Amino acid sequence: MRSLVVLDGTVGTAAQQARALGAFLREGLIGPPAAETLVFYHDERDAGRLVGQAPTCQVRLVKTAAGRPDAIVDVLSTVARDDGNQLFIFAGGYSGTELATRLAHRIGGAAVTDALGIEVGPERLLCRRHVYSNHMVGHFELSARPWCVSINASWDDAPSAVGLEHIVLSDTDETGGTAEADETPFEDLELVEPPPTGDLAQSRLLVVAGAGAGSREGVERIAEAARRMGADFGVSRPVAMSAWAPMDRLVGVSGARTAPELCIVVGVSGAPALYWGIEKAGFIAAIDLDERVPIVKSADAVILDDGVGVIEELAEIIASNRKNVCPDDQSRDG
Amino acid sequence: MNAMRILVCFKVTPDYEALREADWAAGEADCVSGAGVAVGGTGVASGVETRYVPRILDCFDESALEMALRMREAAARDGVAVGLGAVAVGGREVEPHLRTLLALGYERATRVHAEAGLDFVPTVTASIVARYVQETNKTDLLMLGCCSGPDDSGMVPFLVAEELGWPCLTQVTEVTVLSDDRVRVAHMIDDGLLRMTVRLPCVLGVGNAVVARLRVPTLTDRLARRDQHTELLQATDLGIDVPAELGRATCVLTRLQVIDRSRAGVIIGGETPRAKAQALFDSHLKSMIEKL
Repeated sequence: MRSLVVLDGTVGTAAQQARALGAFLREGLIGPPAAETLVFYHDERDAGRLVGQAPTCQVRLVKTAAGRPDAIVDVLSTVARDDGNQLFIFAGGYSGTELATRLAHRIGGAAVTDALGIEVGPERLLCRRHVYSNHMVGHFELSARPWCVSINASWDDAPSAVGLEHIVLSDTDETGGTAEADETPFEDLELVEPPPTGDLAQSRLLVVAGAGAGSREGVERIAEAARRMGADFGVSRPVAMSAWAPMDRLVGVSGARTAPELCIVVGVSGAPALYWGIEKAGFIAAIDLDERVPIVKSADAVILDDGVGVIEELAEIIASNRKNVCPDDQSRDG
Repeated sequence: MNAMRILVCFKVTPDYEALREADWAAGEADCVSGAGVAVGGTGVASGVETRYVPRILDCFDESALEMALRMREAAARDGVAVGLGAVAVGGREVEPHLRTLLALGYERATRVHAEAGLDFVPTVTASIVARYVQETNKTDLLMLGCCSGPDDSGMVPFLVAEELGWPCLTQVTEVTVLSDDRVRVAHMIDDGLLRMTVRLPCVLGVGNAVVARLRVPTLTDRLARRDQHTELLQATDLGIDVPAELGRATCVLTRLQVIDRSRAGVIIGGETPRAKAQALFDSHLKSMIEKL
């Protein structure tokens, strides 16, 4: 069994990918350790830094076009055929899903995305991943090799590994391969914004509004209460889909994954897709009228009442307490 | 003048919020006991029983369906004609949605019949969609939700694109028609939001788009298009033997497991909202907030 980790250094998330992949190799992989990391890069100035981030000691460098997953898949297809690799492990996120899926299709292997953990046997690869919108964990069995696995974004939370002594086995230039720039159907590329939910991911105090807010006005009142208490503000998918708040405030599987010390959820049912985005919170306080919603069991403390009314009272209490503790601190209390 | 032909592929899923805790636990137990209808041979789990649960449009597919309508309206103002078709792989639960789409102005609405069993085998769904596109030869731009459904693997857009040999962008948030063979697309990548012009044909997987809800047709809309009929195809009409494809699946579900997310769930009492908020603050939040 020969396995290979793939690090896409042509995008700006390489350090995060490397950290997540390293944690996955240490804690998510049962079976033979990964042999080496294939690091894709575009700018030669980045190569040394990328080698230092690789989650295995042995590294192969491949220079390729920037922002072109198809070029990476082309190279990996050749690697799979020539070197007899039987397992490819990709980072999570959008890029990992694309690379694992397309590579498996090209080389006649099997793919699984968002892996929480894998167990590698001689004939089968067993994988765990969330299914039914995070309501359950599904156990999957992959047969046809090579196996292409992208890991779950929850591995992004892992701490950095201790430094490895890296050996660069090869450095090849594939920029003149099949993915010539003039063949691309994509033109006028413009990277216009950083990841919009970045502040939510870093939040220490977070308030999340759900559909139980009842209206746009209810959501706006919760957002104002969050501002008064100095908290970041996020929403569930139903709120964003109703256009009561922008999509960039979305918390959950398709939005931000947060890890605040304190998270206050208001009118949130606790659907697993949302809960994935707050499950790393140190403490979860829920305010909801309905005692039957799942969040009642998956919060640390619960108030059964009108969410908007309670969060406004809570904001006032917190703001007034802050004034008493820090009389000079006017910055957070509008 | 040539028209841009857009096909939106959608799915109808159970509303998981309507399932009770006991239903998920029963799904886990059925897998352990081997109950339920196995697909593709022995040792393959059947999934959770959801037949009694209300059906809803998948949220990302719903965005794609509304986005295509808006693209056609905006393109018409710029003198570009756009034709719209919709296709779904599924059972009879899809039909009401197809009729709604016809009422909203979709010119074609097709169901490729599939019994349950495809939920965890995205490769088969992708083959059916790709073959439909090839056989009908009426698509320049294929749009579909980028993930969700029971499997939630996010693989289908890429697999369809690979089968068609078309480029693919996912996590699409905005699309503007520039001409009959070019669109301007905004899509999320791991670095941020990337805008680009795309030469068709292309597959677009719609993500967290600002356009989220499908409009509701008026009674007048429905009456005006009542003579239009949905189209029904069998997978075999497209040359695909679903049971054989399922038997060849290289990634199969073998077991389901309930996730325990329970925490203390302490109920904070009080006579008024103010009293409850004060009690929560005093008992739990005060010390935490003072450290932040």
